[in-house]
Amino acid sequence: MDIFVQLLINGLIAGAIYSLVACGFSLIYSTNKFIHFAHGGVIIVSSYIFYTLFSILHLEFYLSCILAILLAGLVGYLINQFIYKPFRKRKASNSILLIASFGVLIFLESMLLIIFGANVQTIDYIPNAQGLSVLGAIITPLQIVIIISSIILLIFFYFFMKKTRIGKAMRAVSDNPDVAEIVGISASKIYAWTFTIGSMVAGIAAILISLEQNIEPSMGSSLMIKGFTAAVIGGLGSVPGAIFGAFLLGFAENFGIWYLPSGYKDAIAFVLLFLFLLFRPNGILGLKYNNQK
Amino acid sequence: MISAYFIHLLILIGIYIILAISLQLAVGYGGLLNLGHISYFGIGAYVYTILLFHGVNFWICFLLAGFSAAFFGWMSAIGIRKLKGDYLALVTLGFSFVTYAVLINWTELTRGPLGIAGIPRPVLFGFGTNENMVYLVFVFVIAAISYFFINKIVSSPFGKVVEAVRDDEISAKSLGKSTFKIKCINLATSAFFAGIAGCLYASYITFIDPSSFTFSNVIPIILIIIIGGLASLPGTILATFFIILLPEPLRFIGFSSSIVGPARQIVYALILLIVLYYKPRGFYGKLDLE
Repeated sequence: MDIFVQLLINGLIAGAIYSLVACGFSLIYSTNKFIHFAHGGVIIVSSYIFYTLFSILHLEFYLSCILAILLAGLVGYLINQFIYKPFRKRKASNSILLIASFGVLIFLESMLLIIFGANVQTIDYIPNAQGLSVLGAIITPLQIVIIISSIILLIFFYFFMKKTRIGKAMRAVSDNPDVAEIVGISASKIYAWTFTIGSMVAGIAAILISLEQNIEPSMGSSLMIKGFTAAVIGGLGSVPGAIFGAFLLGFAENFGIWYLPSGYKDAIAFVLLFLFLLFRPNGILGLKYNNQK
Repeated sequence: MISAYFIHLLILIGIYIILAISLQLAVGYGGLLNLGHISYFGIGAYVYTILLFHGVNFWICFLLAGFSAAFFGWMSAIGIRKLKGDYLALVTLGFSFVTYAVLINWTELTRGPLGIAGIPRPVLFGFGTNENMVYLVFVFVIAAISYFFINKIVSSPFGKVVEAVRDDEISAKSLGKSTFKIKCINLATSAFFAGIAGCLYASYITFIDPSSFTFSNVIPIILIIIIGGLASLPGTILATFFIILLPEPLRFIGFSSSIVGPARQIVYALILLIVLYYKPRGFYGKLDLE
């Protein structure tokens, strides 16, 4: 029973982090309709930005958080502006854009390797406090903060998409860019906005990740796989679906390693992804999406 | 000294030629954007090494490595039979992550992250191949045989059917071709040669560990087939020389060895983006990547 509750809590924490990854990714996918794999690269770059601001330059904690989030948005904006926009003008196919995004991911990871080295870095903001005991399971105060702040963010994000002008425009473009253009929404501006906002969500995810665990340059692709899997499970392009998928994935991984060595975590994500693509390619909440062009 | 270095590069080029032309069979001719090719390479290397340490004859190890990779190729074809384009690419990428997870966690068999060291070079027809020059000849003979076979396959009637499935699956189906079976055979053949390349790699480097078979190692191979041009075997060979030799000057600029690795990846990433943008068909490509 103790183990069960502990795994449930671990799944919840993992799910909270994955949902932020998946949510940004899914937002970008919903308007751009290609797999932006470099989203993982943006996350890892943002966590190194946060590390630089906070642990090297010794800025104030909240200031470095805000700066890191803004810079993450900037990174996303620049990637869209200088890489994807030219490709989009050439009407590149989805496969080409996918491979290009691998190029971006490898580029970002290698830059981090050159600048910071391959060693893991830690950010000791909240000292390892004594964990609280909940129903026989241990949870640290930081983990509670992570869960609560990601839930607040996701609610905030939901209202952003439903109520604000930009959020509505984003949903219009994701439904049909041509019709959106007719009613006066500039699709290319909305692409830039989704990249910026999606990457800012990535920046928030990056901060929570770097507080919870050590960071290293190779984390990007592994996180991206989690985010992508969560998005597919929930239904690609549907942000609530992505959040749902993220928690499902978090639980599946943590209950999976009850039986398997913990090194199989990534593999569990992929087996889940594979099963969904095979049997339920539209995900649980996903709208009809044509994956068999 | 210099010549020893060039022999080393040529051996790597030979191994990469086998890897790249086998991937070309799947991606260029079959239209299956397979990003998990490196896992067949790894499976081949591990099967070969483990069997060799159990005292199995070299040629049997060599062939079994190819066949076990082919078996996994067949299995993955079953898995991706409903998928296309970028979805297929990501699922095949997933295979490489799963393979990596198994290699690193199944420690009784693979020694996990420690890797397996001291893999002996084979003795072929009475010749020891400890001398790199001899090994180079061996690699090039195998590469030439692979090229011959793959060229034979793609110019055969079967090869034309493979291309037909790539261009228009429904038409191929309506002509009574079992497209699923063709994809299986295509991926299995492609994996077979990748497995063989894995053997050559393992016995050349004499050490294997799971980190040689990860996602970042698949980038150069994808780059080779894109630069060479899809569905062009001569272009692929030219591109292999180009891609393996291009980052080599980085070694002589005087960067420390911890920088050379990432610097090479950066060079690859930049070339990938530039080629995709300015010349998406590569040197001799006949079609666009869909």
